[in-house]
Amino acid sequence: MPMIEGMLKVSLNHYLLLSAILFSVGILGVLLRKNILVILMSIELMLNAVNLTFVAFSRYSANIDGQVMVFFVMTIAAAEAAVGLALTVTVYKKFREVNIRFFEHLRG
Amino acid sequence: MLALADYMFYFLSLLILVSALGVLTMSNPLYAALSLAMSMLGMALIFATLDAWFLAGVQLIVYAGAVMVLFVMVIMLFNISAEKQAFSRGTVSGFFKLASAGVLLGLIAGSIYMSAETVFTPPPIAASEKLGDATQQLSEALFSRYVFAFEVIGAILLVIAVGAVALSRSVGGSHAND
Repeated sequence: MPMIEGMLKVSLNHYLLLSAILFSVGILGVLLRKNILVILMSIELMLNAVNLTFVAFSRYSANIDGQVMVFFVMTIAAAEAAVGLALTVTVYKKFREVNIRFFEHLRG
Repeated sequence: MLALADYMFYFLSLLILVSALGVLTMSNPLYAALSLAMSMLGMALIFATLDAWFLAGVQLIVYAGAVMVLFVMVIMLFNISAEKQAFSRGTVSGFFKLASAGVLLGLIAGSIYMSAETVFTPPPIAASEKLGDATQQLSEALFSRYVFAFEVIGAILLVIAVGAVALSRSVGGSHAND
């Protein structure tokens, strides 16, 4: 079965497809879960999926710029996690629960 | 004939997807965090198979190390156990959410199927030789062409560190209303 083997041979498309599935799982986590912590984790998953796309394209086009972008994305992701967790702490301090529906009450 | 690298990719992608689904489905946030750490680990190994050694190390240190410690520390701070209602309510809206994620996945997969084959038709055999030592090239690009962005990122990190501390200290502080 040469055709199936050709499809199973790992190429750029496999990495991109893995990244797309991972991104969709992250989106589902953001949409379906109510815990702010889990939502932040799902956002990290989505950022990771994008990083995988960058690295795969960088590897297959022999261009290092993609990896530089991944470096920046990782930095911003760490910063975003820090800010998100600080907001989560303020939500928990006020409402004793980390539910996303309390976010709108943080105003002012 | 499938090479070892192919089997490695399938094993790692299985690991990543199963642990990502664990993040989605675990009702205990601590288990979700552990699943996320597992997924980060698999992603670091995938980066290593893509010859991005430096990024694999950074992924381990920053994500599986620092960010996971932040998450786990916040979970321990709140003393959260399993939630009674982990998922948002509403069967119809839940169905629409699932459907929209499925449609997005279908769109991306379709565009990958239709475009990537044509853009990168020749298999990049020489790519790894051309890329050479990726870490050296990465550092050269980072400190020459991208040096301005690098400095700006440093400034942003400083601002965010100060902002996170200010945010968790001032707004609705735990002792403000006592």
